[in-house]
Amino acid sequence: MRGARTAQGVCLGIAVCLLVGCAQLGWRFGERPLRLTDVRGEGDAPRRASLQLVLEGLDADAVDDARRARGSYDRAIQVDPTNPYAYLALARHEVDGTQPDRALPFLDRVEALLSAHGDLSPGVEVHLIGLRGQAYYASGRIDQGVTLLEEARVRAPVVWSDGHLSAEELR
Amino acid sequence: MRRAGRVAAALAFVGGFAVASWVVRLDRIVVSRFEGRQFRVPSRVLSAPTILYPGLDWRRIDLRQTLVRLGYRDHPAGSDMPVGSLHWGRGRVRVHLRAFDHPSRPEPARDIVMALSSDTIERIVELPGGREVGAVLLEPELVGAYYGPDREQRDLIHLSEVPPHLIHAVLSVEDQRFETHHGVDLRRILGAMLANLRAGSIRQGGSTLTQQLVKNFFLTPERTLSRKLQEAVMALLVEARYDKEAILESYLNEIYLGQRGATAIHGVGEATRLYFGKSVEDLTVGESALLAAIIQSPNRISPHRDAELAIDRRNLVLALMRRQGRISDSTYLQERDEPLRVAAITRDLGQARYFLDMLRRQLPTVYAPELLASEGVRIYSTLDLRLQRAATEALVQGLVEAELTHPELVTPGGDRLQGCLVALRPQTGEVLALVGGRDYGLSQFDRCTQARRQAGSVFKPFVYIAALEPDRGGPSITLASFLDDSPYALETPQGTWQPQNYDHEFRGRVSVREAVERSLNVPAARLGQEVGIERVVEVAARLGITSDLPEVPSLALGTAEVSPFEVAQAYATLANGGVRTTAHTFEDLVNGEGETLERRTLRFQRVLDAGTAYLATSLLEGVVERGTAVRVRAMGLTGPIAGKTGTTDDEYDLWFVGFTPELVAVVWVGFDKPRSIGVQSSHLALPIWVRFVREALGTEIRGAFLPPAEVTRVDIEPSSGALALAGCPERRPEFFLHHTEPDETCPRDVGGPGRVIGWLRDLL
Repeated sequence: MRGARTAQGVCLGIAVCLLVGCAQLGWRFGERPLRLTDVRGEGDAPRRASLQLVLEGLDADAVDDARRARGSYDRAIQVDPTNPYAYLALARHEVDGTQPDRALPFLDRVEALLSAHGDLSPGVEVHLIGLRGQAYYASGRIDQGVTLLEEARVRAPVVWSDGHLSAEELR
Repeated sequence: MRRAGRVAAALAFVGGFAVASWVVRLDRIVVSRFEGRQFRVPSRVLSAPTILYPGLDWRRIDLRQTLVRLGYRDHPAGSDMPVGSLHWGRGRVRVHLRAFDHPSRPEPARDIVMALSSDTIERIVELPGGREVGAVLLEPELVGAYYGPDREQRDLIHLSEVPPHLIHAVLSVEDQRFETHHGVDLRRILGAMLANLRAGSIRQGGSTLTQQLVKNFFLTPERTLSRKLQEAVMALLVEARYDKEAILESYLNEIYLGQRGATAIHGVGEATRLYFGKSVEDLTVGESALLAAIIQSPNRISPHRDAELAIDRRNLVLALMRRQGRISDSTYLQERDEPLRVAAITRDLGQARYFLDMLRRQLPTVYAPELLASEGVRIYSTLDLRLQRAATEALVQGLVEAELTHPELVTPGGDRLQGCLVALRPQTGEVLALVGGRDYGLSQFDRCTQARRQAGSVFKPFVYIAALEPDRGGPSITLASFLDDSPYALETPQGTWQPQNYDHEFRGRVSVREAVERSLNVPAARLGQEVGIERVVEVAARLGITSDLPEVPSLALGTAEVSPFEVAQAYATLANGGVRTTAHTFEDLVNGEGETLERRTLRFQRVLDAGTAYLATSLLEGVVERGTAVRVRAMGLTGPIAGKTGTTDDEYDLWFVGFTPELVAVVWVGFDKPRSIGVQSSHLALPIWVRFVREALGTEIRGAFLPPAEVTRVDIEPSSGALALAGCPERRPEFFLHHTEPDETCPRDVGGPGRVIGWLRDLL
């Protein structure tokens, strides 16, 4: 009898843990930061080719080949000038560069393109917040930067805990 | 005797001094040339690279011709395809792409196979291994070059890049004892003399390679004894001062090897590109032999001119190489039987001359014409050569057809009907195509960038934007507003101004959409006054109009003179959702050593809120759907297109400006000395635009103009502009900036809960 109660208690505990975990996971899942490999097959032929070039750019950024990365993003825009992810990768590239505030207009464009298509998911939004924060911070607007980076960190701690989005993390 | 001896000694001294002075002078000439800048290398302008990817319409991009123009040569199918070759099979094409060093993205050589359907590239795989590839880049094409007065083109090479067999081939024909003589080869001279005596005419030259170099560098081609003597002395001086490698390298860069149109091709680097479409490092033994054979008489032995003669001469050089032990018997036999594989002739691209001129004007002033003609700068431009060809063809064809349909446009010996076309990528500001007139040879005046012409109705959208833009103190019209199209008179310092519509009719009350779609003058003139002309000027300038705009009432109807290029910039800002980019013609400038001198990066500036930009775009879509540009649809283009026609008073200037989500293009047509054309723009400028866009993008335009978050779409009752609720007999959708939706409703006086119920009913 006592054993059965114990077993019940354990099961209940497990169930509660599972529920909480699932809820937690579900919340996290909804906010899962975007990775561009997730969208690589989407869209028409120019969009797919453009995304491929963006991924090649991220590969180049990952090995610090900034020249090739930038060239790849430029070509991605040439193939599909309305590809929001090309501007997102370009913004990420710029915040790591010498003039991080150059990223801001690219982030505006990502937002405009995605919201026009109704595709501005929380997974992209968190990158927009984080990158904007990083751009502000690196260009001397510390308070605004910190606030946004903190928000990104809370929403996607795995990626944004260090206040930086690497090329691999976006890939 | 003594005196005679003294005289002789004096003469000998004077003579010796004169000779010594002469030699010193020649030596100075030699040194200054060899140690200064030896060659003038014209700067080249290269196109934007073509990108191939699965799904791309290979017929529209004319894949085969593009590869041929790039110098890819047909090669039989087989496992070993050399770099720069292609094999076009049924349903597939294999290309061994060359490596190229682009400043932003260098590419390795890649052996790829493209599976082709009837019109698209289905798949691209890379060999060996068959890895699927998402996109590959072709090397940029040569758009043109900035030449000096001599129009010499050369691609400088270093001796280390030259394959030994090319050196052997050249030496075997031109100077087989080059390694051992000191500038002059007496044995060769004697041999040549004997051969010429035997033949009774001059058949052989006795000049060494060094003498040939001296002749080309310093002397005229005349055949006098004194020039020959000078040549010999200078050759000795060159050999005394410089090593054989330096002399050989100079020779290989200097030697004349043929023509590309009016341009003289010098040096083996450029000649290899011309004849074989490849780099000098990739030459085969047979190709090297052919190049060496060409030296003797480049235009006669050119493989483009006489393939049989070229093969004969190549084989003669191969035989010489074998005889001199420079190649083996087996190589000789193998190369002798090789068919001739030469690249197609690439003509000078006269079509892009207006673009080249504009690019030169955009370069920083430090790049003076003299520098561009000599320093070998590589300019990576934004030009899309396919679009450039399409633009040229569309404009020229359109003008020719107009003259056939309207013979009154042709006055013998008089001014010819002119036109121009400029196309930009709105998101980046890249100039993709520019044709400044129908024939650059006849007139270098670029009507797209240098002419200022009355804008006519293409200016009107700036008036509507000034009125639609929120929070700027304007009357804040919406797309559901109505305007007054009744007789209008305005007192001005010049007298009473009474604008008229094109048909001299007045329609009373017209909707904003109708006013724009039918390009009515009177409502636009009134609106201009209500908004304030200074605001219209400010809006136009913000969007991209850079000309001085007079603040007069008629400005609203486009009486100001602007360039088609400015108009393209301003409309590009609309196409780009209110974000202005800097129109530019080049991305990178790289010097001869490969160092980047200039780089243009993407820059944006928001100059108009996205909502207003969208409303203006939506109005201009209406012009294409129902208005003065409806012929765009009739001519077969589908998909998102916005545009505006413009015909000025007395039909002096015809305009059409149109844009898609990815391209904006402006066409202007008129006479240089303005006179009436007697045709509406929709019948002349618009068809040119459609013809161009059809070639550039196909008939189904990709993408969509989508409303941004700050715009809502609601149904209105068209005759009143009121919000259409349930029970309203007529309705059409309309776009509004948030909080500018109409307060009035249809049916009337439905407010509070009734309105909410109406909304819900609509929603359901």
